[in-house]
Amino acid sequence: MAANKIEDLRKRKEQIQMGGGAKRIEKQHSLGKLTARERLNLLFDESTFVELDAFVKHRCTNFGMEKVEAPGEGVVTGYGMVEGRLVYAYAQDFTVVGGSLGEKHADKICKAMDNALKVGAPIVGMNDSGGARIQEGVDALAGFGKIFYRNTISSGVIPQISAIMGPCAGGAVYSPAITDFIFMVENTSKMFITGPEVIKTVTGEEVSAEALGGARTHNTISGVAHQMAPTDAECIADIRRLLSFLPSNNMETAPVYETEDDINKLMPELDTLLPDHPNKPYDMFDIITKIVDDGDYFEILPHYAKNMITCFARVNGSTVGIVANQPKFLAGCLDINGSDKAARFIRTCDAFNIPLLTIEDVPGFLPGSSQEYGGIIRHGAKMLYAYSEATVPKLTLIVRKAYGGAYIGMCNKQLGADMVFAWPNSEIAVMGPQGAANIVFKHDINNAEDPAAERAKKIEEYTNEFANPYIAASRGYVDDVIEPNATRPRIADALNMLASKRESRPAKKHGNIPL
Amino acid sequence: MKKFNVTVNGNIYEVEVEEVGGVQTAAPVARAAAPAARPAAAPKAAPKAAAVAAPAGASTITSPMPGTIFDLKVKEGDTVENGQVLLILEAMKMENEIVAPQAGKVVSISVAKGAAVNAGDVLVVLG
Repeated sequence: MAANKIEDLRKRKEQIQMGGGAKRIEKQHSLGKLTARERLNLLFDESTFVELDAFVKHRCTNFGMEKVEAPGEGVVTGYGMVEGRLVYAYAQDFTVVGGSLGEKHADKICKAMDNALKVGAPIVGMNDSGGARIQEGVDALAGFGKIFYRNTISSGVIPQISAIMGPCAGGAVYSPAITDFIFMVENTSKMFITGPEVIKTVTGEEVSAEALGGARTHNTISGVAHQMAPTDAECIADIRRLLSFLPSNNMETAPVYETEDDINKLMPELDTLLPDHPNKPYDMFDIITKIVDDGDYFEILPHYAKNMITCFARVNGSTVGIVANQPKFLAGCLDINGSDKAARFIRTCDAFNIPLLTIEDVPGFLPGSSQEYGGIIRHGAKMLYAYSEATVPKLTLIVRKAYGGAYIGMCNKQLGADMVFAWPNSEIAVMGPQGAANIVFKHDINNAEDPAAERAKKIEEYTNEFANPYIAASRGYVDDVIEPNATRPRIADALNMLASKRESRPAKKHGNIPL
Repeated sequence: MKKFNVTVNGNIYEVEVEEVGGVQTAAPVARAAAPAARPAAAPKAAPKAAAVAAPAGASTITSPMPGTIFDLKVKEGDTVENGQVLLILEAMKMENEIVAPQAGKVVSISVAKGAAVNAGDVLVVLG
């Protein structure tokens, strides 16, 4: 072969790798953002990234587009290794026509998605785009549609992770929204359906882009995004960490990470961790970190609905998904946002063969008209549905309160918990002693000479007799009442015992979860 | 009370529009005419005035859920640190610690010990 052909190829590739050119790359850096290629290099193990479709070009001739050179079509796609495991990825290149999405840009993304699905590898999408390429008209819209469709078809088959690392506005938000996890970068990333200018024109409301759709907004208020990081590099490191907890696809289990942390270790500090009085709050993470390997966990939605904790961790080297009430926030009650958060997480775990560990200290559902009007009935129903539907091993550990409907909602025996453990101080009952005494002993209290004293007496009576784990255990609703110090060995043992669990469901197209 | 003639699909409706409350907004005036085309539309009640007028740069701490004030840990004029417990709200079988979201001075406390509060009620204003 003539040497000049090889030289020509190299030149072509070099030019494509420069994206929008040195000037635009400098601009990208000055905004605190990395380029598409820099991001992909951080995501993948060193020198493992293989690029696809570098030579793809748009074919738009409207509005002078025939003269526009767009190296790589504004998106870099390919595959590589993350901790030695195959992962697909695409990164929109803001330096090339603003990373705008046209027909061929979308086709590149779709090819990567199709390949990832065929080989059963996770896909990471890095979004940094001005939106639809207006010059391409309906072809750009068709491009979005193709991506949304593939996101949906791949859902529950391969993990799909989205990183928002620049603007992501209008229709573009819906690809990340369909994926399993959304990561945002503080200050540089924005997500909204309609931007501040449109809102101002239509409603007169003035709101900054950051307040409307910044990382903090979506991590704390809307619950759209699951994580945020101060920089691109930290965001990508978080994504690598999340991938370590997930299997490559729905037919596999998550990778096992050997641990030095002894699974037979007794933890006497758990015996005294809870406050003496059941009405005092404590930090649920104090319990979680003692149960899981090396006290290490990765939280999903750490800043949203903090009364409900959802996190990945490992026990005996294998991934578990933990759903836990957080008594420090809203008393750890169930509310609309908490139920939503838990239900989505439960389904994520079930889809990817990750056993569920539910740690329960729940006083009940949050009362109030705003909760009722907001639809706590249908949102709370999602939790019951998600737990019942899940066929992965389900462990429930009751550490203190387990009251009423919320006790069922936190995966009780009848929702299919394979193993329910309770600490001896647990209060498993239909409602709290005060409320129950008022109803059950209404007549005794009203007819007493001193109703207040009688009431106090009856509350104590109810507390002693019913606010404990032994009634539920006597029915078999609790498999065992355990000493807190032995929690880690007992959980590890139960997960080991359940590793081969098989449970089938009636054949159907799909269930009808109350969305 | 102002009178307007509004034409909808060729039908002319005479509507009276009453300005209620002291809220001055420019934009909604134009769109107020549209719903008023239905003659039966009743004037809306004036929006509830904010309970406490917070000074600029202040942080208003509201009750996250319905409950009773179990204990007050600070008094007006106190300087508090970020994360310091301001008061204890007894709700959902729990003595919930309500903490300062930022450092500052306690400008006002809107509740007394034993008071019943609803979600959204102003508890403390920090300056």
